[in-house]
Amino acid sequence: MSYIKEVFASRELLANLTLREIRGQYKRTIFGRLWSLVNPLAAMLTYTLVFRFILRLTPAPGDPSGLDIFALWLLCGLLPWTFFQSVVTTGMGSLLANAGLVQKVYFSRIVLPLSVVGSVGYNWLFEMGVLLVALVLFGAFVWPFLPLVLVVMVLLAIFASGLSLALAVANIHFRDTQYFVSIIMQIWMYLTPIIYPISLVQDQSDAHGGLFGTNITIMNIYQLNPLERFVSVFRNLLYDNRWPPVNDVLLCAVWAAAAFAIGLWIFRKNEKGLAEAL
Amino acid sequence: MTTNAVTVDHLSKKFRLYHERNQSIKSAIMRGRTSVHEDFWALKDVSFEVPEGSTFGLIGSNGSGKSTLLKCLAKIYYPEKGSIGYKGRVAALLEVGSGFHPELSGRENIFLNGSILGMKKAEITKKFDEIVDFSGVEQFIDQPVKNYSSGMYVRLGFSVAINVDPDVLVVDEVLSVGDAEFQEKCAQKFVDFKKAGKTVILVSHAMGAVRSMCDHAAWLSHGELVSIGEAKPTIDAYLNSLNGAA
Repeated sequence: MSYIKEVFASRELLANLTLREIRGQYKRTIFGRLWSLVNPLAAMLTYTLVFRFILRLTPAPGDPSGLDIFALWLLCGLLPWTFFQSVVTTGMGSLLANAGLVQKVYFSRIVLPLSVVGSVGYNWLFEMGVLLVALVLFGAFVWPFLPLVLVVMVLLAIFASGLSLALAVANIHFRDTQYFVSIIMQIWMYLTPIIYPISLVQDQSDAHGGLFGTNITIMNIYQLNPLERFVSVFRNLLYDNRWPPVNDVLLCAVWAAAAFAIGLWIFRKNEKGLAEAL
Repeated sequence: MTTNAVTVDHLSKKFRLYHERNQSIKSAIMRGRTSVHEDFWALKDVSFEVPEGSTFGLIGSNGSGKSTLLKCLAKIYYPEKGSIGYKGRVAALLEVGSGFHPELSGRENIFLNGSILGMKKAEITKKFDEIVDFSGVEQFIDQPVKNYSSGMYVRLGFSVAINVDPDVLVVDEVLSVGDAEFQEKCAQKFVDFKKAGKTVILVSHAMGAVRSMCDHAAWLSHGELVSIGEAKPTIDAYLNSLNGAA
């Protein structure tokens, strides 16, 4: 309890560190915050070119929204993913990046990784806002779903911060963690139905049936990936414009709570030794 | 009856001296262990009390554990054994300007640095003029701090830190910042601090400063407390031991 109080007492510090990241990030650039849009746009163009026009992927049109635009379909999964990925990778390095501060000033250390969630989340909100405008322009009716979109965004942020808390500590002890994680992230992205529809996995799964004589299908294993649920919920809400199954949202919440609890526990256990271990 | 602002009770702090440290997974697995180390006790069973409203000096040669003790007092290191009790709010001044963002302006950095040091926004706003005034960088307050001279940078950092207004201030060798005029201001600030009944714990190698500022002093050597008491006799004993050894 006293820990919660302490973290709550540092909320101003958290806000200030977040602002430091946000304000400092695009200083001395001509386009400023627009840069935060360039990355997803470039990724969108590349993936659309490769997967839509060369490999001819055709995800099912939004049901009931009727949207059939690959780029929008892609972004509904890609933006949450890039947020998740940059929270984990930047949050993981946040203690090392602020080593000078950790070794000289006492404050609640957890604000460092959390401020990363704040600043990356700020960019993400901006990106999602632009995506929303695009969706509306192309005829999606997303308004009633927005509150749930926000809830799921918060859940994903909690999930990502849990992972980054644990990895930040691991990275202090083993600097390999950051290189290892960047590889994992690449593989993870392709194991999540972001640039291809999950129906393709379903086809393969059906073709192979139960693996090794059991009832477990490829799909069962594939769906262990927590991001798979998150992406599918985001697409349900934003692209299809329908309510996702309650179980899916609950599963996202469980993943978020579990990841955060474990991350926080690891962080708390190691917090006191941080200044020495750096 | 004076109360104690800080009570250090049988404090011991251990560091690991690494003969081999495998900070990559590959080497950890190849060697079958993460490290080979021996324990080094930087502080051994140190106990003392600092009365409220006094200025307390920590003296000793390099490597005697002063800075480790200071970092324990500042809650940056956690002792293996023993405990430290405080009365009131503690602020540590181990480095000035920590957490300044070079691209942000002096104004933004005052708020950032202030909140790192534990000040509330309302508090900083209230003291803003005082901080700027004390630092003497009014003219450049809206410039990014990367354009500051090193003196200006340090002065601004120090002004923020000194205005945190704690009950107990823990200071490392930072008194020697800025030019003579600024040092004068700092010295005056410490006098005011003392008048206000605040406690200061400082580490310094400048015996003149310790002698003039401190009422009490503790002499550390190789992590152990050699003597503690009134500042003058303690300092004399310390200096004598140095001369004797030479």
